[in-house]
Order: sequence, then C-alpha cells, then structure tokens
Amino acid sequence: MVTLINTQNPVKLKYPKKHNHYGFREFFTFDADKGTIVDWNEGHNLLTTEDFIIGLVEGLQEEVGDASAATMYVIGCEWGQKDAFFFEKWFEKEFDRNMRQASLLFLLETWWWPFTSQGWGRWEIDMGDRKQGFMFINIFDSAVARTLGDVGKPVCFLYAGLFAGFFTELVKKQLSCIEIQCYSMGETYCKFLVGGQDRIDAAAFWMNEGANARDIEKRLRSGDLLR
Amino acid sequence: MLSQLKRLSLEVDGRYASDAELQFMSDYVKSFNLRLQTYQKLQEIESKLIEQTYAKMRSLDPTLFMQGKDDFTSKWKTDTIRTLRYIAVAVLINDPDTLRERFLIWFQTVLRSFRAERTTDVTYQVLQEVVKQDLTPPQASLVCPILELTRRSLGLTSS
Repeated sequence: MVTLINTQNPVKLKYPKKHNHYGFREFFTFDADKGTIVDWNEGHNLLTTEDFIIGLVEGLQEEVGDASAATMYVIGCEWGQKDAFFFEKWFEKEFDRNMRQASLLFLLETWWWPFTSQGWGRWEIDMGDRKQGFMFINIFDSAVARTLGDVGKPVCFLYAGLFAGFFTELVKKQLSCIEIQCYSMGETYCKFLVGGQDRIDAAAFWMNEGANARDIEKRLRSGDLLR
Repeated sequence: MLSQLKRLSLEVDGRYASDAELQFMSDYVKSFNLRLQTYQKLQEIESKLIEQTYAKMRSLDPTLFMQGKDDFTSKWKTDTIRTLRYIAVAVLINDPDTLRERFLIWFQTVLRSFRAERTTDVTYQVLQEVVKQDLTPPQASLVCPILELTRRSLGLTSS
C-alpha cells in the first residue's frame, strides 16, 4: 500500500516565501499519526540519539577497522553530492533564481541553515583564501564530536566528506576536505580545510608530523606544499 | 512572554508555581496597554520612521546605501520594514528571546554574507533616535532596548 505523506507545512502554506523559517516548529512538520517528520524543503527526517552515532562509529570500526574513517568520508561525499542537487532545486524554488546567479556567501549560508536546524551545528566559513584554491570551515557543536567527546583525534569524517562532496558539485571541480582541528582533540570547535587533493595531502602529512591547525594555515598561506 | 511561559511550564512540573515565578505574568498584564498602544503606534508611523531614518542616514553618509556601484536603497527599505515588524511583535508580546531565535540569528548570517553590518549598525542606532521623536518616553523605553538588541545582533558588534 502506498501512503501519501502530507507535507503541508502550515506556516509554508500561509507564507510560502518566508525565508527565516529555521525555528524548530517552523522548519519541521511533525505528523504524529503518520509518524513522519518532514522539513520545510520536504525532506524526510529521522531523529536519532547520541547512542545511534556511537553505534554507527563503533560498529563501523569493528567491521572495517581503520578503514572506517575513509568509509565515513565516502558516505559524507555521496551525501554532499546528492545534497547539492537537492539544494539547487529548493533554492531555485524559494528564491526564484538559479543558485549560480546568487551571491556565493549568501548561497552557502542558505545551504547550511537546514543543517543547523537539524542539529549538525553552526558553521563559519572563511573564504579569504578562495583565490588560492582553498578555504576553511569552522563547525561549532559537531554532532559527532560532541557525542564521542575528547578522544584525542579528529572524528568528523562524515562532515569532511559532506563538504568535499557538496563543494565538488558546486564548483564542478574535484575537491577534498580534511578536518585539521576537532572538538574531540580537546579544541573548542572543529576546523576543516577544503581544497584540491595536493593541499589536503600536504595538510594530512603536516598533521601526522604534529602540526596544528594554525601551523597548517600558515604553511598553506605561505604557499608551502609537499614537493 | 512566550519564552517565559514555556520556561514556566517546564519548570513547574507537578507543583504549583511560586509568587516570584508568576511575577512576570502580572508585570506583563500591567504593561499590556502600553505595549498595545506602542505596537499600534509603530504600525501607524512605520513609513514615516523608515523615511526619517533613511534621510538621516543619507545625510550622515550617502555611501551607506551603496555596494560598489549598486544602490541598494529599496532592499534596505524592505529589510528594515520587515525587521521593524518583527520588533513590533517582540514589543507587544515582550519576547526578545523569540525575536533572536526565530529571526535575528538567521538574519545576521544573511547580512554578513552581503557585508552589510556597517549600514545595519547605523540603521538601528539612528532608528533609536528617530522613534524617540514620535513615541512617548514610556513607549520608547519598550522599543529602544529591542532596537539596541537588533543593532548588537546584526550590526558591527555581531562579527
């Protein structure tokens, strides 16, 4: 039997062009009878506990060992690529214009807002080095890092994949991402570097050598790359 | 008010609220007439407030409405009217928390992406001076703190 899910958000029905719709009760429509949670952009949502995140991370670790980080990253990449198409559609519908005609920073802020409402944390994007081919993203309150706590190493591979996948689709150029600072390393927030594979490899190498996020930023800005 | 009611309903779980916990309700009831008058007055003088603020800001610095070669006066007007309407509701229901959560935090990211913090900062500074000309001191004392909250959330200090 096919059940049609009523996605009619009462606020959206009344004010379809309302842009500040990210409050909990505005962004999500809870249908207790059907057991569905549908968001403003008609995406279906599931609520999960921190136990779910622990189960996912530890279960994967048990199954594939050290490859679990790469697996999470790849899952994130696919999610980000798919989300870029999903975002393109809802952005065009909401703002009556193609996303390529919008101001880049506004576009990116708009992309991240649903994630903020869904509990993935607030972000801050630093595009000061965009022309040099890389940029930084800070995530405050990462759902994964907050759950796992201080484990002494980066854990937000899902986020890194998400950024890599999304930005690859956005700029139509293969980009990668690495977390260079994590709440789970005892830092106050997580920091990601997005850029071409050569820069990500260099950052990974410097991290292995003991460099922190500030060292990596400095070395990238000075044009230092692995030969 | 709505945020306070929500907090009260969570805190008073299976017990009766104390007089101190109920104080905000009687304060609200006492201030309701003034809040309603202020809300209606803001509605009545909305376009005047916008025009006066615009004129004052232009005389202070005409570049406030320019972004490169583009004049964004009409966008500024639309945004300021919308914000003023949210502020009027916050005054009516005495709920700056909801204003912040449902509007200001989001709008801050939008304005920052257009690098409009300086214009916004001046807007809500000038608006505080302009409203004082048309509102009584008690009415202005309800509106100005919310305008200041808006300035601090959206203006230069927000970065």
